[in-house]
Amino acid sequence: MIKAVHLCKSFGDIKAVDDVNLHITKGEVVCIIGPSGSGKSTLIRCLHGLEIPDSGELYVNGKPIDFSGDTTKDLAHIGFVFQLFNLFPHKTVLENLTLGPVKAGGVPVKQAEQTALALLERVGLADKAGAYPSQLSGGQKQRVAIARALCQSPEVILFDEPTSALDPEMIGEVLNVMKELADEGMTLAVVTHEMGFARVVADRVIFVDGGKIIEEGTPEQIFDHPQSDRLKLFLSQVIHM
Amino acid sequence: MNAFQRILTPENLQFMLKGAGYSVLVAVFALAGGSILGLLSAMAKMGRHKIPKLIANVYVEVIRGTPMMLQILLFYLGGPVVTKALFHYVYTPNPILVGTIAVGINSGAYTTELFRSAIQSVDKGQWEAAQTIGLSRKQTLREIILPQAFKRILPPYINEFIVLLKDSSLLASIGAVELLHSADVLGAKFYNYLVPLLFATCMYLIMTLTISYFARKLERRLAASD
Repeated sequence: MIKAVHLCKSFGDIKAVDDVNLHITKGEVVCIIGPSGSGKSTLIRCLHGLEIPDSGELYVNGKPIDFSGDTTKDLAHIGFVFQLFNLFPHKTVLENLTLGPVKAGGVPVKQAEQTALALLERVGLADKAGAYPSQLSGGQKQRVAIARALCQSPEVILFDEPTSALDPEMIGEVLNVMKELADEGMTLAVVTHEMGFARVVADRVIFVDGGKIIEEGTPEQIFDHPQSDRLKLFLSQVIHM
Repeated sequence: MNAFQRILTPENLQFMLKGAGYSVLVAVFALAGGSILGLLSAMAKMGRHKIPKLIANVYVEVIRGTPMMLQILLFYLGGPVVTKALFHYVYTPNPILVGTIAVGINSGAYTTELFRSAIQSVDKGQWEAAQTIGLSRKQTLREIILPQAFKRILPPYINEFIVLLKDSSLLASIGAVELLHSADVLGAKFYNYLVPLLFATCMYLIMTLTISYFARKLERRLAASD
């Protein structure tokens, strides 16, 4: 579905993404873990053209993405959920959801609103349709952001640390929504620090450090039988008993 | 009979009120024209294309680096010379019209920076979110960025209007009968400049203070939705 080949992206001297090959197949849940500054956010942002790779190719459903041109059409059916939600503060929750389908997708307003309301129901926020983002809690904002991504009828949703900016008591509600999506067969790629989530929900876990994929495998392989020293060190630091 | 009664007759008051009306008109049209210019050149400055960027930069620097009075005189006195040289066509420029255009072009340079800083102060994440839901650059600007920039721009923008209202008095130098010039005319007529100038002072203050009052009210109302 999404295939990255020899992807590279540097910021000055820092190689944030260093020759990464990544293939996400339909229905798969991929969790990307790694220390801060390891390049995992840059990697997932490259998959939606939020960072333009310096070199390498990106294919969506076999079609190569041309970053020198307008990529919005080719990437239209990839959803993206940000760490800081990035909701539109001057628009209501409902407008946040319908804006993309109506303006970019040419869907009639009424129809877009119906879809949006159904999706709000799905993330448990049907009663917030008329609210503004500033009236919502962090967890609610992120669930709205997920609903907004779902409005794109995405084939895959990319998450960039979706729970890192949340108060601890709100993390569960967001992870639950994501788990439901996974259970329904949605393709997900999630950059996360939630090892518990990765262990339970992921089909495949990728450990990134220094811009490179160091190790990948099933949650059992990664968490119970880590091979590389770097992964062992990382796990010893993040998993506290 | 004191000077006030002698000069501030209903007829003369009407004359000066008409002058004040022209001052407002000049400021309104200059701001409107200047805003369109300012928005375009702000876009050009932030855009990727080199030539529009260069033009916008030159425009802003030239206008901001020279006196407004000079610009008004150049347009008013220089216009006919240019058309004569190029098309053998001489005309008598309308001072209000040419003056408004000159003030508008001047204002555009200042609003360029207003728009640019307001647009750039909107969080980068808003552009990114708009990109991920498939909006084009233009749609993002219209739907997402400008409405948010508008709130931030409002106080300095209204200030710009007040500045223009006052600067419209420079058109007195090319004979446009706005508020200051109408006071000047009356002063010459009655050999007393103090009274009409004081009256003009009051008129300017009434206008500028009224505008700031409503600006503050509007600002509070907009802040309420934050």
